[in-house]
Amino acid sequence: MPQNSRLRRSQEINLLDGRSITVIDKLGEGGQGTVYRVCLNDTMEDRALKWYFIEKVRNPHAFYNNLKDNIEKGAPSSAFVWPEELTEWVDGTFGYIMRIFPGQYKDFSKYLMARVKFGSYGAMVNAALNIVSAFKALHNKGYNYQDLNDGNFSIEPRMGDVLICDNDNIMGHGQSSGILGKARYMAPEVVRGDIAPNRQTDRFSLGVILFMLLVGDHPLEGAKTNVPALINKYDKKFFGTEPLFIFDENDNSNMPVQGLHKNAISFWPCIPKFMQKAFSKSFSQESLLKGAGRLQEQEWLHLLVQLKSSIAKCPRCGSEMFIESNGETMCPDCKSLIKPVGYLKFAKRRSNIEISVPIFEGIRLYEYHMNDGSEDYQTEAAVVLAKPGKFGLQNCSRHLWTVTAVDGRTSTRQQGDVAILGLGFKIDFGNGNTAEIVPN
Amino acid sequence: MGMLDKAEILRRMCPVIFLLDASGSMAGAPMGAVNAAMEGILPELISMNNDNPDVEIEIAVLTFHSGTDWVTGSSLVNPENYVWKDLDARGVTSMGAAFKELEKVLSVSHGFVNRASGSVAPVIFLLTDGEPTDNYQDGLQALRDNNWYKCAAKVAVGYGQSNDAVLREFTGNPETVLHTNDPKDLTNLIRFVTITSSMVASRGAAAPVNDADAAADPNDTTNAVAAALKTAPPVLSNSTDPDEEW
Repeated sequence: MPQNSRLRRSQEINLLDGRSITVIDKLGEGGQGTVYRVCLNDTMEDRALKWYFIEKVRNPHAFYNNLKDNIEKGAPSSAFVWPEELTEWVDGTFGYIMRIFPGQYKDFSKYLMARVKFGSYGAMVNAALNIVSAFKALHNKGYNYQDLNDGNFSIEPRMGDVLICDNDNIMGHGQSSGILGKARYMAPEVVRGDIAPNRQTDRFSLGVILFMLLVGDHPLEGAKTNVPALINKYDKKFFGTEPLFIFDENDNSNMPVQGLHKNAISFWPCIPKFMQKAFSKSFSQESLLKGAGRLQEQEWLHLLVQLKSSIAKCPRCGSEMFIESNGETMCPDCKSLIKPVGYLKFAKRRSNIEISVPIFEGIRLYEYHMNDGSEDYQTEAAVVLAKPGKFGLQNCSRHLWTVTAVDGRTSTRQQGDVAILGLGFKIDFGNGNTAEIVPN
Repeated sequence: MGMLDKAEILRRMCPVIFLLDASGSMAGAPMGAVNAAMEGILPELISMNNDNPDVEIEIAVLTFHSGTDWVTGSSLVNPENYVWKDLDARGVTSMGAAFKELEKVLSVSHGFVNRASGSVAPVIFLLTDGEPTDNYQDGLQALRDNNWYKCAAKVAVGYGQSNDAVLREFTGNPETVLHTNDPKDLTNLIRFVTITSSMVASRGAAAPVNDADAAADPNDTTNAVAAALKTAPPVLSNSTDPDEEW
């Protein structure tokens, strides 16, 4: 038995950088090791220590060196609970320290099992945006995650803040002998054994995660995959050789099943068409069988900001819902179909995606909309107001807006002012970034 | 709540089936150890279910004595909804009858493994302190023709005078048969074997990688459990006796 895998309370361990830590207590245990709460002896700050069962680590020295490299390169963004420093080797094994993440962060799996729910639509969409931004940063730094699945995220339910865990295993993936466990999250070409995981296959997994986060069911699990039998032997078929999107536009043989795939049936009609299209493209036969048409993080980002600017309250029942610029969406609670009177159509496309915002009371715009160089989807910049007979757009930003009417007359709006949303009006948000008011 | 009020995602099922010897020779400390083990295993299975969005464990318990009893009823039960009822020991060791009874329920159409979203390879745990007093060969042969049995993680614990050769025949892998002569150790051993194998099985077995229609090696799950039993780190004993023998 691997006695060296256990640490004693109060045991002191040296870190590679010369500092040392003291073991406080055990926080948890995973397949590869134990996680302890430790204290940095110089500053008395708490950290988590992942301590490996060395026999569970393939090629430990290469693994150690890979971790060392990753520590030197640093975290792609603050969302990653990145290894901070390695320990020295102790009795043939080692560990690394990382920050302890706060208790209000809940594993994504808890959301899937409906044990935890988001506090608002804004939090849910923020979580999606935060995941996408984190993976954009990861890919831009030249890493691939390789085995993206529901076990890698912890999400704060009120704000949608995201932490990405298990960042130590990047090298280990793709080296296992068979396909284990998370076939449902792997790109079909990886399940088929055609290629090793890469950035493109990460993008497939990201699409699955986003679908599950927003819609609440698995995009490839429907009537066809419902086999009351020993299921593992079908995994390669369902997720590799014959995968089929549950809402495939040309083949309805894998439609969600009444009573089983409840979320997919209830909520798919409630998400705007531009998101439905993005998912249909991500899980088209072209994508599933040829790896074509996967969305880049950048594209998801534009779509998700648009989704965030689609959140309003149902005028009939008051529940939160998504409103679509130029189409109808369904309120998930009272099932009313709602269509706005019109929308703001931005002059510039971003990543070849048309940017628009519905004109509907309570819709919010972000710094992102003020400046086409910005990706700030958190700072509110404007809000749609309603009065009997008219809509207005309140400037909550520091940008000076110029509003131009159809006859060419102009007026400016600064922070706190409200611009009337007239038919055919154009608003210049101050950075050469303009939007036109288009009626439905 | 709208889209925030999502239903729980559909999970696959991992059946964990216990075949427990409740013959007269188990009376006293051994039966007590089994009861203590089973009671302690339930919360651990619940906690595993709470952490696994892919697979949900459900259990069934079959006792064998002069006859057989499904003490958990006529279907698998969620460990969350089951309160352990202490077993009593009586009669002889009808292991063959238990094998036949098990074979009957390892079926989609008229058995336990009927979850619409499918099931992963089950765990079948066998415990005995003796040897079969009936013809176990026929029952075992029937099991060997059953596809669920073939792919199951088969594990066994022998206690005292158990005939471990029969247990090895049952699991098909000598490494998933463990033995103890100490009733105090029995509780720990049952717990260790069933929790380790449930953990392996509920993570889902390897999918075939070569051919879409090729079945995976049916021994994969049992082999994976054998490996896990060897490398699983020890846990703290639940002993209350500081003088307990090592």
